[in-house]
Amino acid sequence: MNRRPGIGGLQAAAAARDQYRLLGASVAKRRTDLMKEQLVTFRSQLEDFARKHRNDIRKNPTFRAQFHEMCAKVGVDPLASNKGFWAELLGIGDFYYELGVQIVEICLAARPHNGGLINLQELCNLLGQKRKTAREAVSEDDCLQAISKLKVLGSGFEVISVGKKKLVRSVPTELNKDHNEILEVAQGQGYVTVEEVQRRLSWSAGRATDALETLLEASSCQSIEGLAMIDEGHRDGKCHYWFPCISSISSYVGS
Amino acid sequence: MQTLGNFKLPNFFNYPPYFTLQPVRDTREKQVQLWKELILDYCRTQKIFVIALDEEFPLFSNPVIESIAGSLNHEARQAFLSALVSEGRAEWMHKGHRKCLILWHRIQDWADSIVQFVKDNGLEDTVMTVEEIRSGVESRGTELHGIDRTILMRALKLLENKGKLVIFKGSSADDEGIKFSL
Repeated sequence: MNRRPGIGGLQAAAAARDQYRLLGASVAKRRTDLMKEQLVTFRSQLEDFARKHRNDIRKNPTFRAQFHEMCAKVGVDPLASNKGFWAELLGIGDFYYELGVQIVEICLAARPHNGGLINLQELCNLLGQKRKTAREAVSEDDCLQAISKLKVLGSGFEVISVGKKKLVRSVPTELNKDHNEILEVAQGQGYVTVEEVQRRLSWSAGRATDALETLLEASSCQSIEGLAMIDEGHRDGKCHYWFPCISSISSYVGS
Repeated sequence: MQTLGNFKLPNFFNYPPYFTLQPVRDTREKQVQLWKELILDYCRTQKIFVIALDEEFPLFSNPVIESIAGSLNHEARQAFLSALVSEGRAEWMHKGHRKCLILWHRIQDWADSIVQFVKDNGLEDTVMTVEEIRSGVESRGTELHGIDRTILMRALKLLENKGKLVIFKGSSADDEGIKFSL
C-alpha cells in the first residue's frame, strides 16, 4: 500500500488495518469452526464405528489390535481414562485392567520358578487358561496393552526383546548385554552349555562361565531368584544351564 | 501329560534340571517343595509306604529325559526325603538313612482312621489281630487295607498310650492281638 501524506491517509491506513484484522479474525474463526466440526464428525464417526463393531472389538483380538492402531494414529487413547465414552461404549478399559491384574497374578505365581522373566507367548497361554470362563480370546497385543498400563504403577513391569522372542519382566532387574545374548542362544534348545556359549558368541571360557553363574545366582540383582537352573546329569557330561523363562515347560505354574 | 500307571505326573517332571539338586538356595527350596508334594501324592495314590534310597523307584527317574538315565542321584533323593522327614511326613527307618517310611497320613491321622474303622464296624470292646486289620474282610475298601505294618503298629501304640486299646501277644508268634476299649 502506498503511503499518502496527511491525516486522511493515516485514517485510511488505520481503517484498512481494522478491516484486515476483522477479516483475519473471521477467517480464523471459520477455520476453527470447521476444525471443530470435523472433530465432532470424526468423533461421532469413531463412536459409530466403535458402536457398530463393538462386538468385534471385544471378541476379536486381531480387530482389537487394528482398532488400537487406528486410535493411536489419530492420537486417541481409549484406555486413557476409565470414565468417558470409550469405557462406557466398549467396556474396554475394564477389560485391560482386569487383564493387567491377571498378568500380575501369573507373574508373581511363576516368579519362584522363572526368576521373574516370562515368555510373552507363555504368559498369553496362561492368561487364556486362567480366563477360560471369559471366553474372549486374548492376544499378545492385548497383553502388551495391559502391561503398558501397568507401567504407571512403577512396579517394573516391562517387555524386553531377546532375539525373536518377547519376555515380560516383573522384577526390577537389569539384564546386561551378555545375559541377553545368552538367553538368545538358549532359545534354540531351552538350555546352553559353557562350550556352546563360547562357540556361538566367540567368548572366552571365563566370560561365559561368569555370565552363566550370574544368571544362576542372579546375585547382581537383589531379591530375585535365579533365572537359570542346572542339569548336571546329561550324558554328554557337561553342565546344562536351563532357562525356565524361555521354555514353555513352566506352564505348570499356578495349576 | 505324562503318566505313570494311572498317576498324572506334573510338568516339571519333564524338565531336566529338576533332576539335579540345584545349587542356589532359593531355586533349590522351590525344587524341594515340588518334589515333596510329588512324592507324597504318588505314594498316597499308589499306596506306597516305604522308599528305599538305593533301589529303583519309578519317580526317581524319567526315561523321557536324556540325562544320565534321567535319574536323581543319591544326594538329591536324600535331600528330598530329608525334607519330608523334617516336616514329619516321613521317617528314616534305620540310622543309615537307606529306607524311608512315607507318612502321607501322619501317625495321628492313621490312629484316627483306626478309631473310625472300629466305630464303623461296631468293633468296640472286641479283639482283633493286627493282621486282621491289615488284610481282614472288615478293612477291605478302607485306607487301612494293606497298610504298612510298621505304620500300623505305631498308630496302635499311640492309641494304646491313650488307653483306647491294649496290644498283647497272640497265640502265633508273629501276630499280635488288639483289645479295643473305646
